Amino acid sequence: MAIFANQVNKTYQSGEVTVQALRQASLEVQDKKIITILGPSGSGKSTLLNVIGGIDRYDSGSIKVGGTVLDQLKDRELTDYRRKFVGFIFQQYNLIPTLTVEENVEVGRELSQQPLDMKDTLEKVGMWDKKDKFPSQLSGGEQQRVAIARALIKNPQILLCDEPTGALDEETGKNILKLLKFVNEQYGTTVLIITHNQGIGEMAHSVIRMKSGEIVDSFENENPVDPEKVTWS
Amino acid sequence: MILKKSVYRTLKEKKFQYAGVAVLLLLAVMLYVSLSMAITTLESRNETFSEDYKQESFHFVAGGSVTDEQLSLWEDEYNVTLEKRKYADFEVDDSTVRVFTTTESVNTPYIAEGRAPTSGQELAISKVYAEKHQYQIGDAITLDEREFEITGFVYLPDYIYMVEQMTDLLADAEKFGVAVVSSSSFSVNAQTEILGWTGNGDVPDGFREAVSEETSLLQFVNSEENPRIGFVETEIEGAKGMTTTLPLFILALSIAMVLMLMKRRMEMQRKEIGTLMALGYRKKELVRHYLGYAWVIGLVGTVGGLTAGAGLSVPLSNLYANYFNLPALSMFDWDPFVLVIGFVIPLLLLILLTTFAISRTLRTEPLTLLRPKEVSNGKKSWLEKLPLLQKGGFIRRFRLRLLVRNKARSVYIFIGVMFSTVLLLFGLITFNSMDQLVETTYKEILKYDYAVHYQSLMTEETDEEQSPFIMNELGLVDEDVKITAYGIENDNAFIQLSAQGESLQSNLSEGAIISAPLAAVLGVGEGDEIHLQNSLNSDTMHVEVAAVADLYIGNNLYLPREELNDFLGFPEEAYTGTWQKQPPENSGNVYMVEDKQKAIDNFESTTGATRASVAGMAIFAVLIGVIVLTLLTNLIVEENSPSISLFKVMGYHDKEVSKLVLSVYTPIVLIAYFVSIPLASLSLEQTMNTLVQETGFLMPTDVAWWMVVIGFIVILLTYWLSLGLSKRKLKNVSLQEALKKQQD
Ligand SMILES: Nc1ncnc2c1ncn2[C@@H]1O[C@H](COP(=O)(O)OP(=O)(O)OP(=O)(O)O)[C@@H](O)[C@H]1O
Ligand SMILES: [Mg+2]
Repeated sequence: MAIFANQVNKTYQSGEVTVQALRQASLEVQDKKIITILGPSGSGKSTLLNVIGGIDRYDSGSIKVGGTVLDQLKDRELTDYRRKFVGFIFQQYNLIPTLTVEENVEVGRELSQQPLDMKDTLEKVGMWDKKDKFPSQLSGGEQQRVAIARALIKNPQILLCDEPTGALDEETGKNILKLLKFVNEQYGTTVLIITHNQGIGEMAHSVIRMKSGEIVDSFENENPVDPEKVTWS
Repeated sequence: MILKKSVYRTLKEKKFQYAGVAVLLLLAVMLYVSLSMAITTLESRNETFSEDYKQESFHFVAGGSVTDEQLSLWEDEYNVTLEKRKYADFEVDDSTVRVFTTTESVNTPYIAEGRAPTSGQELAISKVYAEKHQYQIGDAITLDEREFEITGFVYLPDYIYMVEQMTDLLADAEKFGVAVVSSSSFSVNAQTEILGWTGNGDVPDGFREAVSEETSLLQFVNSEENPRIGFVETEIEGAKGMTTTLPLFILALSIAMVLMLMKRRMEMQRKEIGTLMALGYRKKELVRHYLGYAWVIGLVGTVGGLTAGAGLSVPLSNLYANYFNLPALSMFDWDPFVLVIGFVIPLLLLILLTTFAISRTLRTEPLTLLRPKEVSNGKKSWLEKLPLLQKGGFIRRFRLRLLVRNKARSVYIFIGVMFSTVLLLFGLITFNSMDQLVETTYKEILKYDYAVHYQSLMTEETDEEQSPFIMNELGLVDEDVKITAYGIENDNAFIQLSAQGESLQSNLSEGAIISAPLAAVLGVGEGDEIHLQNSLNSDTMHVEVAAVADLYIGNNLYLPREELNDFLGFPEEAYTGTWQKQPPENSGNVYMVEDKQKAIDNFESTTGATRASVAGMAIFAVLIGVIVLTLLTNLIVEENSPSISLFKVMGYHDKEVSKLVLSVYTPIVLIAYFVSIPLASLSLEQTMNTLVQETGFLMPTDVAWWMVVIGFIVILLTYWLSLGLSKRKLKNVSLQEALKKQQD
């Protein structure tokens, strides 16, 4: 699904201090692409991702994802939008500790009208063998795979990943990136990846740079490289 | 929903906490259901028995004989059914058996087992009496050297509460029982009473006056004033209050606990909730998911309570049945309402309130939930800013902060201890006041051994060993209260009115001295005026209350004898009875003899039941205390597990840590305990005062020092027990896990 953001503003008020997290941010993402968002800490990357994903609201401007304009949606409609179209991947995985791998993925599956096949999905992320394990019995990379499977199984149109490899080492991190690329190619899912890791930009179709809430730069990548070959930093 | 599994696993993991609240709920429902079902059964047995077996509306004893023709005349004129019944008392094995002739239209005997007596050598006897004295059907019983064969067990509609004298407080089948013989076979020197039945249970207007015109009335008792008939209803009313208040308290406590646990759960699972919201779960779905906890607790508690309650109601009904002589005309009467109130209401309340609590958390934005706990929570509350909390070393500040941060926990601990203490003290006070009641009423104030009531007004000199008194029932102007008025000699050795050990006898010259129950019923005290009315001729008199005596039984009022005689229009020297140390020698003119020792025995032999209920109350108090305190201390350990593991990493021993974290609450427990003492005393006094109208006696509700000590020990042990249980949990806090939790 294509994403259009037009002059989006967002301020946070915490006590006396007002922080402008997004400043006239405009963005155009084509359908079925991988986009990475780069930028220093506090530059508004997560905020941008969250407003696109419909778990946060913006003060002004407009966002359109596929055919849905998010500007005036009520809570309930926003929930339905997320349910139908959006998959989230967090840096901290956020699995439910009392459910097994398979059950955690089931949590995502139940939300969808046309979910993917459970076994197929778990096999794709390489977790079928461990489907009966609990999150506490898994490594960080494995947990992130489960989180991806949970997002993936509901067959979302866009996948929003906030530092998916932030807590992982190079090898595991690259495996996750490969998985995301595979998802993009196989299902045509639009994938947004936030990262501190400059190198990850090399695998994306386009790269966005943010600074102080503004999108300062964006460019297309003519030849995205294989995730295996990105420069890890 | 797959999320259900998460609910079950969490419940399993935290079974201690959730089982605790479920048990609280179960106790509440069980208590309510068992008591109300037993009472419903009792009530319906009572109603059926009194309707089907024509329980008397009144009875009277005439001075002279009344002919059958006269009875028929009254029956026609007043539309009542009248029947004569003869009775006589016999001494058997240190007990009294009152034998009645069989009646046909009023107070018809119900034969529960065996058959009714037909010949002159047969009788049917009360079942509880037979059981206490080991008589079986077919056995012989000797009354006054005459042998009778027991043909069956009998219940009499006017001896449901089987007391020998109407003034007796407690029934004791060891000492007193009733029996019936066939009418023809009664040839002994028996008394005759006339039983009356009207459809609506009231005495017809003018009937009493008509009878007293025809013959002298020695006694006229309508069923409302007859404890043998009315006490069941009093008890039912009293018990009804108890069935709701105590369970309601426990219910409130358990719901509060569930809400607290829910809040805690939502707090722990903020991130999970945020994730689920981000994934696209709707609020409604999440509410349903988290309500799973409440449903499980609620269903376990109510269904368990219902089952246990229904089971418990059977022995309870039987206990009541032994206490009251009611035939088991129906075995098991449920009021469908009991099910509704015992099941639907607690469940509904629990679910609704939990829904409310959950919805509040779900109102938070998913993003806020996903972020590590709110920055604003790091802010110090105004309490923490108090200079008191700024001083001292780290340990002191840590402990104080723990107290302040968990205000809700502190409050719940306070309430839990208070509830247990009040319950415990209720038990102890009741236990003690039984003895105190006997001690002051029967030993310090009523010093006579026998009260002899005569058939007619006496005027002749009494001898040294006696003190004359006049007794008359009086009414009050504009109030429906019956007062037993005594006119007594100022200087007599047989009744020493006193309060707190000080004699009030000299106050008699200033006005009337009244008993504690009367003071409570009328709501009057020293210096107030009472408006007495003679119910026979409507004369009225004002008297001032000179003092309230520590006399805990009866609506009694004492005046100088001349004064009461004057009001009643009797000669100055007149008396209706004498108090004395010896039983009367000739019984010619004697209408009734009250044997004080019998009344005391009676009272004391029944304290066994009270002892049992006191023990029950104490167990209840401890159980609730342990559950509540353990739950709370457990939560405290759980919530503070990051700090606890930090302490452990730093090298503190488990013992030191538990001292640091858990014993913070000791002062709260102590304060709660001492605050509860006056509260228990006051609330019990209040309860007694509201019940006095029905029971006719008042229990002293003073707290003695030994109760404070015993209560203190029990509460402290309870607290230690729950601390011990939580210490195990504290030991199990793993360093790794706690640190991990702190991370995210
Ligand atoms: N709930 C909030 N309340 C107040 N300020 C906020 C809140 N959320 C974000 N901010 C502020 O908004 C700005 C943008 O935050 P955002 O999380 O989008 O940055 P980021 O680029 O994702 O940073 P990082 O790389 O560290 O994750 C920051 O200055 C941050 O402090
Ligand atoms: Mg961020």
